[in-house]
Amino acid sequence: MNDRSIDRRIFVKGGGLALVSLGLDPIFLTRAAYAVQRPGGPANNRKSLICVFQRGAVDGLNMVVPHGDRSYYDARPGIAVPTPGKQDGALDLDGYFGLHPTLSPLLPFYRDGSLAMVHAVGSPNSSRSHFDAQDFMESGTPGVKSTRDGWLNRYMAHARDHEDTPFRGVAMGSQLPHVLRGTAPALAIDNLRSFGIRAGRAQDRVASAFEELYGGSASGLVASSAEEGFEAVRMLKAINAASIEPDNGAQYPNSGFGRQMRQLAQLVKAEVGLEIGFAGVGGWDTHINQGAAQGQLAGRLRDFATTLAAFAQDLGSRMADVVVLTMSEFGRTVQENGTRGTDHGRATAMLVLGGNANGGKVHGSWPTLAPERREDGRDLAVTTDFRDLFAEVLVGHLGHAELSSVFPGYKSDVKRWVGAMRR
Amino acid sequence: MRTLIGMTAAVLIVGAPSSDREAIRPTTPPAGDSTERARALHALNRLTYGPRPGDVDRVVALGVDRWIEQQLHPETMANEQLETQLPGFEILEFTDDDLAAMFYRQQRERRQRQLAMRDSTQKMDAADRPAQRPRQRNQLGRLTGQFQQLAVTRAVVSEHQLYEVMVDFWTNHFNVFIRKGPLRYLTPHYIEYVIRPNALGRFEDLLVATAKSPAMLSYLDNAQSVAPGSTNPQLAQLERRLRQASNSRRGRGQGDRIRQLERRLEQARERSPRGLNENYARELLELHTLGVDGGYTQDDVINVARILTGWSTSRPNQRSAKFVFNMWAHDETEKTVMGRTFSPAGSDEGVALLQMLARHPSTMRHVSRKLCMRFVSDDPPDGCVEAGAQAWKRHDGDIREVLRAVIASPEFWSPEVRGAKTKTPLEFVVSALRAVEATPDTVPGLAGLVARLGQPLYTHQAPNGYPETQEAWVNAGALLNRLNVALAFAAGRVPGAAVDHNRVVGLNHELHDMVALVNEALLNGTASPNTLRVMEEQAAQTANRRQARAMLIGYALGSPEFQRQ
Repeated sequence: MNDRSIDRRIFVKGGGLALVSLGLDPIFLTRAAYAVQRPGGPANNRKSLICVFQRGAVDGLNMVVPHGDRSYYDARPGIAVPTPGKQDGALDLDGYFGLHPTLSPLLPFYRDGSLAMVHAVGSPNSSRSHFDAQDFMESGTPGVKSTRDGWLNRYMAHARDHEDTPFRGVAMGSQLPHVLRGTAPALAIDNLRSFGIRAGRAQDRVASAFEELYGGSASGLVASSAEEGFEAVRMLKAINAASIEPDNGAQYPNSGFGRQMRQLAQLVKAEVGLEIGFAGVGGWDTHINQGAAQGQLAGRLRDFATTLAAFAQDLGSRMADVVVLTMSEFGRTVQENGTRGTDHGRATAMLVLGGNANGGKVHGSWPTLAPERREDGRDLAVTTDFRDLFAEVLVGHLGHAELSSVFPGYKSDVKRWVGAMRR
Repeated sequence: MRTLIGMTAAVLIVGAPSSDREAIRPTTPPAGDSTERARALHALNRLTYGPRPGDVDRVVALGVDRWIEQQLHPETMANEQLETQLPGFEILEFTDDDLAAMFYRQQRERRQRQLAMRDSTQKMDAADRPAQRPRQRNQLGRLTGQFQQLAVTRAVVSEHQLYEVMVDFWTNHFNVFIRKGPLRYLTPHYIEYVIRPNALGRFEDLLVATAKSPAMLSYLDNAQSVAPGSTNPQLAQLERRLRQASNSRRGRGQGDRIRQLERRLEQARERSPRGLNENYARELLELHTLGVDGGYTQDDVINVARILTGWSTSRPNQRSAKFVFNMWAHDETEKTVMGRTFSPAGSDEGVALLQMLARHPSTMRHVSRKLCMRFVSDDPPDGCVEAGAQAWKRHDGDIREVLRAVIASPEFWSPEVRGAKTKTPLEFVVSALRAVEATPDTVPGLAGLVARLGQPLYTHQAPNGYPETQEAWVNAGALLNRLNVALAFAAGRVPGAAVDHNRVVGLNHELHDMVALVNEALLNGTASPNTLRVMEEQAAQTANRRQARAMLIGYALGSPEFQRQ
């Protein structure tokens, strides 16, 4: 453990005044100056974990289809994905589960053992509010609303043996998601190409003036964010990551999600020390006309699968060091609703791709969809606490063992881990 | 944006083009007690989109409390500048039916284009295809951009500042998403006739107006929610006709007629909903009224959905969708929500439910809390929330009174909260425009600027609206983008507005005075010693005064001080 003090920057850069003079930001949001003494040069061969949040609650039952469960077809006369072999049928995985047909780009990864699925995973808190449930999944403390930092940030704050770079934690988008907020520096980048001060020939001078401005006049989150920004700009300028082209013939869809993943791949390939990447993809809240093998959800899944497949193809052999973990705040009702859609449910399915994922299997304990086995009589019951899956991936991929700091108040027991990672 | 920045660079080096007209600015310290000035500045920071030069003096002269009273009663205040600008916004001349006609025409044309494409794909070379597309401008799209620009313009120019802030507050509280289907044409009407007239009225009226608005009914799917087992009369009629046709004696063509009816029936069945959709019911409780911890259960959500079955929209057909109550779709059994029983009473059940929700203590606290978050602090103090809730109770949800109580609470004025909130992108852009007294035009450039900073108006997909707290908006990338916007102001090249640096400070001042005057005009004298030092150093390194002035304006608007309010 390298114990560079969390308070160092507050006193060095803010002259000790930041806390007293404005004192506006809660201390836990005042970031540490981890990056100050960064060892020179980018590091190589680093592990990366890319988390993909399917915001809006993806219908796990139509993503990883339990075609062997009779109740599935009883509950969804209008929107079930047909059994494998039928027209537009599910792509069989193991005789019981199958992939939605539009997820076909992912099938090769399942077959070669690099893609694992986990079913019936979710939160122990039964809130069916998108915003609460997303918050809980990002804070890593289901049921506790006062947690203002996210579990990925706490991971970065506590796993101090890892070298820091401005790009250690990066979320694609214009806002930093809750999961990456906290004391460890993290960047939100909307677009690598336009990230920086744009003032033509005056650029460097203007940038350094602003840096001085923020170094001395700002405090708290604004100050730390600015410092991270200026440092990242310098590094990005040197490596020109935005010009790195996809490899191995990978073709990303021209969608928001495609662009996010393409840029995360650029950062991985630029070897800037990206350890935690985050991308969000929406459009899963399918209350109306969600469709079966085709339709609204199918369109979203196609973009999702094509993008993930392009990402894995693009990174090629680097995927040995990269894991993509997908998540969604909850699943959807087993029964289709009155408008050929589904309402808010409980458990859903998550994917683990790359690294030492224990692929080629659907993990998790399956509660079945029999009405009496459903949670509150309506939803797929949660049999795996999402924290156990996240913990297993952290330990299995990044080797981190200080889980009590990442998931405070929770004892993740190895015995409950579903085996999504090879040990 | 990239061309814009290219221009920025050029201008920074050669200096901003502008006339040498002299601006008159006070160089002596303005009159007024310093505490009163501080109160005025705080009130302006929170209750408006930021002070214009001279606003603090004006508020001090009038008296802070009197000024607040005025803001609470916009109907008593003239608003000349806005009124002269509104006629430029063509969008305001169209009715919802006009916009609907544009939307459906556009849809029809797109379908025809797709069909034509499919038919001719084999014959046509891929390269020829774009030429087939009509060059005709997308009228609705253009008007939508104008409508977004209108929101920014009103925020910049209107004298009714607190009112405009509240319009933005409710627009987020009762969020809709302009890119979802018919919302493309319904949203302007929603803002103009549902949100704006009720922004300082009674909460209950606002709530009922949103519940009955075709925009909300479509956005959160209630238009499609029907009692399980109910049948659309159109469907029933088709079924009857089919039965009659099947029973009648077989004649010539009868088989074709039956097959045709069967096909139509199948299509109609496919289209029509079969049961409940909980979407609106849940967000109504969670976001619009009680709050997620307001004490309701999943069963309450279902029962609210049942009460609201039948609240729907007419099927748009050239004309706009309008609110209708479909008795056939209504669940006529008894329901219980949070312990209260609702006997079958058609659409009155829903109205009674909305009344109950508007007067529920959880709603008072939830909405007061959000108001305190907006006006006081990201961590709203209990005292402020309590003050708002009490006023709500006393005045039956009169929003003006709730606001008055929030503003009068000691928490609103406490030293810790002054300057402690970070501006949202909209607040940042609008406050910068106000600070330099820029004149917006009808081209949607400003709306585009706000969008590029992460807050495209009416385009938040999820029903919770844009966040209010700084964690959502402050990050490295967002700050860099703000600095780039500040540089655009420095260059005098802001898309969608005319910026004249002479309105900030004249060129006849010494550099040192210029720094002080820019600090006074744009930052109301709040620049820290470090900021003043950097500004002076930068100005001193600059070749001429015009260029120095441009840079000072850029640094002031990009400074950490300007990000706060």
